[in-house]
Amino acid sequence: MSDVHTEHDAYDQPDDVSYWAKHRLLALIVSAIIISLGLVTISLALYGSSGAAQLDLSRPGYRAVSSQAVKSEQTDKDFGNYAAFGPLDQASITEFKTLYDKQAGSAKAVDAFSGDPLDPVFLQINAPSTND
Amino acid sequence: MKYSYRIIIGLMVALALPFAIAGVVNAQSTPLSNEQLARIVTNCVSAKNTLNQLHASDALLRVNRGQAYVSISSRLMTRFNNRVETNSYDAKDLTSATQNYDNSYTAFYASYKAYEEQLSLALRIDCTKQPAEFYQAVASARTKRTQVHTDVVRLHQNIDDYSAAFATFSTDFTSRGVNN
Repeated sequence: MSDVHTEHDAYDQPDDVSYWAKHRLLALIVSAIIISLGLVTISLALYGSSGAAQLDLSRPGYRAVSSQAVKSEQTDKDFGNYAAFGPLDQASITEFKTLYDKQAGSAKAVDAFSGDPLDPVFLQINAPSTND
Repeated sequence: MKYSYRIIIGLMVALALPFAIAGVVNAQSTPLSNEQLARIVTNCVSAKNTLNQLHASDALLRVNRGQAYVSISSRLMTRFNNRVETNSYDAKDLTSATQNYDNSYTAFYASYKAYEEQLSLALRIDCTKQPAEFYQAVASARTKRTQVHTDVVRLHQNIDDYSAAFATFSTDFTSRGVNN
């Protein structure tokens, strides 16, 4: 058994280094991938469970209608900027009434989700009548 | 000892009975005739096209209506209530009306989510291979859409309720100003 070490040996890893120490870079990459997959899974679960998915018009299938969504700038313009602070006088009450009546009328003008488009008769998946 | 066994068995029967009844009702609510199943398979493509269009148009409606409903609460009701309170006036009725409105919006949010998930489920079913399942999924989506409309009607009612609370406040404020 020789106990002589050359200069070259100093750069070599000793034999008693553990497996993980030898593969630190690989372990780092694999860990990063596992962590990122975990985070993506969590964020997708939150995206689905929070109801955000239902409001996302950039999803496939919604592209045709996404351009018709009311832009937030338009909403800002429509609703004005009624101040939450300030004096309460007849002018501020009148200002609020004007804004509220306009937006309340606009909101109520659309009887959303009325009608019965899922009626089996309309979809032609109902039981055929004796005349059919 | 026998008495306690009877209680346990009675409890088990009481717990199992609703499920048994629900199972019977469910089994009874799905008797689709062969003719109807054939009709579903025949009209499968057109029905799915209609559902796809409805899926997209309802999503747009949900986004636009939802934006308007949220803004009414956050940009108008809440701000006015805050202004009333910071000026040391009683905003109890206005706050209560706003709370009811927000509760209705929460219900609308949840019911639309349930409806959309059910409609998506129906769209994923291959109606040429599983016509009965498709029919049941559409029927369930139909019920859930009706619930969304009920919530919309309630939101509109809450808008009117706030309007009434505001009118009362405004009248009191004006009369107080005249008296002062």
